[in-house]
Amino acid sequence: MFLSLIAYLSILLFVGISVYKAYEFAKMPLHGRMELYPVPKEKGFEHGGSFYEEVAWWSKPHEVSHVREISEMVKEIFFIKTLFENQRPFWWISYALHLGIYFIMAWTILLVMGAVSELNGILVAANSLSIWGLLIFYLSVATGIIGLALATLGSGFLFLRRLFDKTLKKYTTPQEYFNLLLLFAALFTGVLTWGSDLTFHNARVVTANLVTFTPFAASGLVTLHIILVGIMLIYIPTSKMSHYVGKYFTFHTVLWDNSPNVKGSAVEQKVKKASTFRPTTSWSAPHIKPPSVPK
Amino acid sequence: MINQKDLRPKDMGRSDEQLIKLELDQFMPLLAPYDKPGMEPPLTDPKPAWKEKYCTSLDGYVGIDTLVRPKSKEEEDEFVRKFLSGLEKIFSDANNGVLEPLLLTFEYCAKCNTCSEACHIYKATGDNELYRPIYRSEVLRKIMKKYFTPSGKLLGGFVGADIDVNWETIARLGELAYRCNLCRRCAQTCPLGLDNAILTKEIRKIFSQEMGIAPTPLHTKGTMLQIKTGSSTGLSKPAFLDTLEFLEEDTEEKFGIKLKFPVDKKGADILVLHNAGEFMAWPENPVAFAILFDAAGLNWTLSSEIMGYDSVNYGLWYDDYQAKQIALMQMKVAKDFGVNRIVVAECGHAHKASMVVGDRMAYGDAKIPVESCLPLLWDMVKSKRLILDPSKNNFPVTLHDPCNVVRQLGIVEPQRNVLKAICPQFREMTPHGVDNYCCGGGSGFAIMNSQNFPQFRDQVASRMKFNQILGAFQDTIEDASIPKYICAPCSNCKGAMRAILEHYEVTEKFNVQYGGLVELMVNALVSMKKPFLEFLE
Repeated sequence: MFLSLIAYLSILLFVGISVYKAYEFAKMPLHGRMELYPVPKEKGFEHGGSFYEEVAWWSKPHEVSHVREISEMVKEIFFIKTLFENQRPFWWISYALHLGIYFIMAWTILLVMGAVSELNGILVAANSLSIWGLLIFYLSVATGIIGLALATLGSGFLFLRRLFDKTLKKYTTPQEYFNLLLLFAALFTGVLTWGSDLTFHNARVVTANLVTFTPFAASGLVTLHIILVGIMLIYIPTSKMSHYVGKYFTFHTVLWDNSPNVKGSAVEQKVKKASTFRPTTSWSAPHIKPPSVPK
Repeated sequence: MINQKDLRPKDMGRSDEQLIKLELDQFMPLLAPYDKPGMEPPLTDPKPAWKEKYCTSLDGYVGIDTLVRPKSKEEEDEFVRKFLSGLEKIFSDANNGVLEPLLLTFEYCAKCNTCSEACHIYKATGDNELYRPIYRSEVLRKIMKKYFTPSGKLLGGFVGADIDVNWETIARLGELAYRCNLCRRCAQTCPLGLDNAILTKEIRKIFSQEMGIAPTPLHTKGTMLQIKTGSSTGLSKPAFLDTLEFLEEDTEEKFGIKLKFPVDKKGADILVLHNAGEFMAWPENPVAFAILFDAAGLNWTLSSEIMGYDSVNYGLWYDDYQAKQIALMQMKVAKDFGVNRIVVAECGHAHKASMVVGDRMAYGDAKIPVESCLPLLWDMVKSKRLILDPSKNNFPVTLHDPCNVVRQLGIVEPQRNVLKAICPQFREMTPHGVDNYCCGGGSGFAIMNSQNFPQFRDQVASRMKFNQILGAFQDTIEDASIPKYICAPCSNCKGAMRAILEHYEVTEKFNVQYGGLVELMVNALVSMKKPFLEFLE
């Protein structure tokens, strides 16, 4: 019961805090334009240009290609393209961790699906007569092995690289080592817990117990692993490891937001609204006059 | 003094007289013919008097000539207090216009160090730790954490709040904010989309907007002078009109062209905004614009109103308050004038100020469309409104991409299309376009000439660009009989080019010239009876 509670609570908090963070960024005040080219959505300017290359640009429609934008997003989310292009040695280990996490997320979903299937009488095993059971089984095996291996190695190597790289060492705080160690500990206990049964039958049984709040005799290792994963899931969104939230905003609302403030545009409405705001704080240098009192 | 390789962010608080010393032999080597011994002037130490008066304790250079040492403990404490007060304010509603990008960059840096390889100053100095883009950001984070975050107050060094904060720390950080050109090339490579230039600019802002400290060429003789007189050059309306008259006479005398600058012309379609520095330093540029616009039959005018004849906005580099004041004043002049559009001439930061930064400072009828001169110039060539003879420009030409025009506005092709059409020996620099390197004059460096700062600009900040120039002209560089032209369609970039060429005596020794785009276009006009470019005579 206690472990079930941890599992549910940590997932809930992970999602809740992440969504809250995203909400906080989404409702931040309108900022000045800070786009940086190339902006992938610029249709017709694939060389890195923009609508500003046109004479009388304001009199022409600003055409955007959401396909290119989404394609860049996909490359960034699933392949960490910018790191691949600009720092290949680091990419290998960072990508191992991130890809491993994606596989583990898929594996977790497959474990839940497998557990629910078994609770409904469908055998999830190599000798299952059900295609569904076979599919879940083999996908669980593949995602589980790849995910645990990649993420554990990735987090371990990231930690070691920070520890031994002369430059990174200077900039890494103890907290940042702790972040990587927490990930590694949660993953490594996962390897120890589930690694002895690569059919993941035991994992499915534990998952079924967790999902249904069924008390079960958990070993010390299973307990430790579930607690560590729980702590990790709650900690990640409160730390800078929540960059999966921030990254959306850095690209979409800062680097790729080049929507001009033209008459009748949505941006114009936002600018209009923002212009009524009077700050409660003001700067103190002699050349600065205090903001005017609202009329 | 510390060996730069051992430098850590928390060392900014050390009591050393000078944190690091730059050594020429550690720098990125220059290309031929500047790879030979004796071709590069040596670096010099700061004068003892400067050490007593200014902050030379960072790397020996003085960027902020108004940052003077305190005379008492009280002054020292007040200096630190003001900085901390400003630091708190950049995260408050006083800073709404930057808050979201600032918070994102402040919070999420994974310190993967990808940005370092993109920085021309870091690479030029042979990977000097002090100029690593995340170095300065990390110092700022440490101070912020130490004073303003619960985790920093509770956990101290565990979360990185392990820096001593004293006058030296803050003054060095202020100086360090003027060792970055704000070119944002590093931001292009960040896997998380973060931007160290934002943090650099915020440090400059705290110094200016809270502490009243900014380099004289940017503030007192920059934005303040512009707000007072209409131009950062101090050019008054009568002097401006006199200058135009002189240029008209000079053009007729030199080229036999009866030029008449339209000034305050009612019913004009276009208001052309020049960087007023052009009239003083490179008058051939506004003359060339006038010749081309007349030849293309455009209905245009200049303004003689205060704020109407100088497109610059130095506020962009250090002070949002000043930037906004100037941008709004310039907008109002154009609006009152009744033109249909503003065309920004060859000035990169003025492009950014009026088209991007100023874009959300007003709305509705207070605004007037602004466009770059570059698409318009290409349109004149493409539509054959100008009769051009490319053989008149038959010498090596390369193009410098101003960061503000290319990386920050996405105007990449028009200028190179013009050059491809009118310069048979045009060749690109490597890299170019949105991947270009800053000229080294960006964010105010081009006009910051106090104490020994020009040496830092010319030998460090402009070093990568100088190598790019040498690289582009490798085939002919040592043949002084062949003129070689750097096309830099931006006033500040031209200022940096002028400084590089003078510092290394490149024009004198190797006949490397520089100028804008319009000068090349006028030179190629079939109607020109003699070369417009003086070095061809």
